Amino acid sequence: MNNKINTSFFVACQQCDALYDKPQLKQGQLAKCNRCGSTLIERKVDSIERSFNWSLAGLMLMLPAILLPIMGVTLAGQFHQASLFDCILVLIDRGFFMIALLVFLFAIAVPIVRLSGALYISYSFKFNKLKPSLLNFFRAYHHLDNWAMLNVFMLGIVVSMYKLIDDTELSVNLGLLAFIFWLICSTMSAVALDQDYIWGKLEKTFIKPEADNENS
Amino acid sequence: MKTAKQCGVALCPKCHKLNNATTGEIQCSRCHGHFYQRKRNSLQYTLAWNFAALIAFIPANLYPIMIVYQLGIGSEATILSGIGEFIDHGLYPIAVIIFTASIIVPLIKIIGLFVLVYKAHTGIRLKPDKHSKIYHILEFLGPWSMLDVFVVALMVTVVELGFVTSVAAGPAINYFTITVIFTMFAANSFDPRLLWDKKAE
Repeated sequence: MNNKINTSFFVACQQCDALYDKPQLKQGQLAKCNRCGSTLIERKVDSIERSFNWSLAGLMLMLPAILLPIMGVTLAGQFHQASLFDCILVLIDRGFFMIALLVFLFAIAVPIVRLSGALYISYSFKFNKLKPSLLNFFRAYHHLDNWAMLNVFMLGIVVSMYKLIDDTELSVNLGLLAFIFWLICSTMSAVALDQDYIWGKLEKTFIKPEADNENS
Repeated sequence: MKTAKQCGVALCPKCHKLNNATTGEIQCSRCHGHFYQRKRNSLQYTLAWNFAALIAFIPANLYPIMIVYQLGIGSEATILSGIGEFIDHGLYPIAVIIFTASIIVPLIKIIGLFVLVYKAHTGIRLKPDKHSKIYHILEFLGPWSMLDVFVVALMVTVVELGFVTSVAAGPAINYFTITVIFTMFAANSFDPRLLWDKKAE
């Protein structure tokens, strides 16, 4: 078997390793693997514009979503309300460091880092300020793919409201609205980002074609 | 159908660039990340994380997860007894959601990964198309079992009315978190391509 292959003309499935000729796609098209059915590559519509706008909106909503109270409880004449930030302060106060750390990481830190990352990448592409450091930056961005849990936290809010609504007077605050929009924005900014396009363009700009043959 | 491995190329897991494969560590020519053609010792890692998750799952169910204080008197609830309380109160949808997220999902993940590791290792009655779909479902389910942790965190924060009512988290919450995170690590270290490799042999 001839094992010298020009790697830029082929694409392999991430899930089952099947090798295909690289398809030429138009915006909005996607190619699927014949064998296992997972997506091979996808050209997303208007990717840079969209992810820039979504992540900018997300970052603007970040402060209200974290600082405004999400819900309040009235019981026996006493009223108490809490925001996402209070949540962490209270947990630390009462000595539940592990949950405090988890809520901070998965519901605040990771989403913020991902939003700012998406904003930085789409900003650099939008205004054509490409730097070689983007290669490392975008690789690091992928490390956090699995660890944003805003959607799970949202379901957690719904469940705990359900729990509380029975024996207390529950009030919903603006923070919940901001949190929902924040969730939508951060999901959309991650969905809109077109990885294949970004990697392709970064490669064209910074990697010389000779580098390919050096290894073989 | 040829796989990339048979043709001597390897796919970078981060930027999805094809590289010429060498034995051992490969440096991606595009993103300069280091990787191996297949995740290294994938089955062993998956198995190890899985056992750890299973062990942590036992105290997670035995210890109380939430303690509710009313007028100074505390009542403890484990995951299962909490679900029982919902059923007593007639809150069936929530009981189902909590039961699914905190008992069924972690168990299905652990058992499912054991089965996948077994199949990928022995190749007995292996159907790669079906089994890789199962793997995707397991991977997707991962974060959703964090639900219970977030619910307890919110309850502790919101229901804080001094002496009248307050909620504290029990020791089980830590074990439960560990279970969830370990199952996520286990799912991450499994390489679905091994299923197809085994079938091709």
